[in-house]
Amino acid sequence: MSEKRVKLEVLNPRGTIEAKPVSAPNPRITDLAGKRVGLYWNSKPGMDNFYKVFEELLRKRYPTATTTLLRGAFLIRDDDVEAWLKEIDTFVYGVGD
Amino acid sequence: MAGTVKLETMGKPGVFINCTTFDDDAKSASADNGMPTLRRVKISSQDFYKLRGKVETIRPLVEAVFDDIIDALTKPLTPEESNASGGKYEEESTAGVTVTAESYPAAAEEFNSVFLNNRWGDGLPLIPPTEERVKWMLSGTKRKPDEVLGRINPKQGVATIEKIAINAVMAGAKPEYLPVIIAAMEALADEDFDDLHVLASAGSFNLLTVISGPIAREIGMESGIGFMGHGWRANNTIGRAIRLSTLNIGHTWPGKNDMALTGRVSPHTFFTFCEAEDFSAWEPYHASRGFKADDSCVTVGSIHGESQLNHFYGGMIGTWTAEGILDRMVEDLVRTDRRGYFMWGTKGIGKYLGSGGGAMNHMIILFPELVEELKKIGFDQKGLQDEIYKRTSIPYDDLNPAERKSLQTAIELGVIPTDRKAVFEAALKPGGKVPVLISPDNLHFFVAGGAPGCAFSFNYYRIPPYNRTALMTKRITGATLTKAGAV
Repeated sequence: MSEKRVKLEVLNPRGTIEAKPVSAPNPRITDLAGKRVGLYWNSKPGMDNFYKVFEELLRKRYPTATTTLLRGAFLIRDDDVEAWLKEIDTFVYGVGD
Repeated sequence: MAGTVKLETMGKPGVFINCTTFDDDAKSASADNGMPTLRRVKISSQDFYKLRGKVETIRPLVEAVFDDIIDALTKPLTPEESNASGGKYEEESTAGVTVTAESYPAAAEEFNSVFLNNRWGDGLPLIPPTEERVKWMLSGTKRKPDEVLGRINPKQGVATIEKIAINAVMAGAKPEYLPVIIAAMEALADEDFDDLHVLASAGSFNLLTVISGPIAREIGMESGIGFMGHGWRANNTIGRAIRLSTLNIGHTWPGKNDMALTGRVSPHTFFTFCEAEDFSAWEPYHASRGFKADDSCVTVGSIHGESQLNHFYGGMIGTWTAEGILDRMVEDLVRTDRRGYFMWGTKGIGKYLGSGGGAMNHMIILFPELVEELKKIGFDQKGLQDEIYKRTSIPYDDLNPAERKSLQTAIELGVIPTDRKAVFEAALKPGGKVPVLISPDNLHFFVAGGAPGCAFSFNYYRIPPYNRTALMTKRITGATLTKAGAV
């Protein structure tokens, strides 16, 4: 059996990631009937078409649900958030690509 | 992802839709943003990108995931999903690594295996960052090893002088290069610099790093023929140290959270070079950014990935004149930047007005002979900025109605900054000439190359998607082994 004679001790090149508190998502709305569903489109191509079909399917299953489409930045802007929050009960955000 | 977390944090339950290719990235980002159990629904990348063009083609895809989306919105959270609250984000160990082997070559090979398997390297052999070697590297700066420069995306890893030095050793750099590497990382870690987009976007964006001032000569950087290429230790290891530092301090990895679809050209060193100050008829670039001409500085700028380089020639195949190259530059700028007019009339894709698309910054590399000729016909940097700005302006009467509307909207929204509003208001009338650039200051000239040389340019958004700027100059300080950059 060969003897290991060389020890190489090296420092870690990785940046420290500071621990931060995490939180859980909000409790769900159990029934979408009569609810306002926000559809956030982060301007990535194709999500508008996706949402058009989604809205049709949603109306069939929940005829009293309504939708509000908001097109905005990749990361929703603060001024968009404040206004939009007043109009929705729940939301879909897409698309991550 | 950050937007979804923002809405959840403000009290609304929701779901994030991501494509399968980006699932690891989405999972990573949800943790980075403090909500690791945020609900996500995956859609097939293969299907989405192919079918998204029309409502009728994407219909089957939406039908296939509709129930999943409804479930994500309505099914109660599981105990595991709810337990994320109040927990701590798991820290990665920052302990050193020890390898043992029968001989040094075997130990070095084992070290490389460990680091490359850990995804702590760039695919090329690394120099082991022993304590002794890192101490040697730190002799190049008087700045303290525990000094914090800022954070590097996407994981917001803390950039210290020591961590940069460790990566500089791995890259094969020398201590006299360290102050340059530190200044570049200072720019990337600056709270106003958008490092996230260039390091993580699917667009395979790249980084331009230009060193200007006397330090370049002192540390043996090459600025002549082949200045952007291989062979020069300073040029290449400085670039590699920056690459390794962003990879390790920011915790990126291709396909996991660095989603550059094609990877990047010059991936191990980015585009790193220095100005040819000894042969330049102009002041160094950093003087145009408010620094003293005899300072030594590093300028870091994001650049487009797929269309890397716009070539204006010079060279040796045919004869050239300064006016001829200038004409080519003007023609190229008009052609590429006019295409962006339609985006000027939107708020943009990011936090700040006009972010992404729309108006551009241009980083133009001119060879020394050309600069000499330009100076003979009366141009310094400022004069050339103004001349190109004027020549690239398009007659109002040639604009189509959509372009006119977009530009008018850009004024109304405030995308065109207040200090440029009057220029565009005057231009947007019959007989006016409408700029394709917001300001002449969006043209940045660097002098580099040998004789013969070539002129070419890179470009990028004037305002990036995730922060205020993607072009920054920092002064080099704290150097101990060179006269330049010492103070």
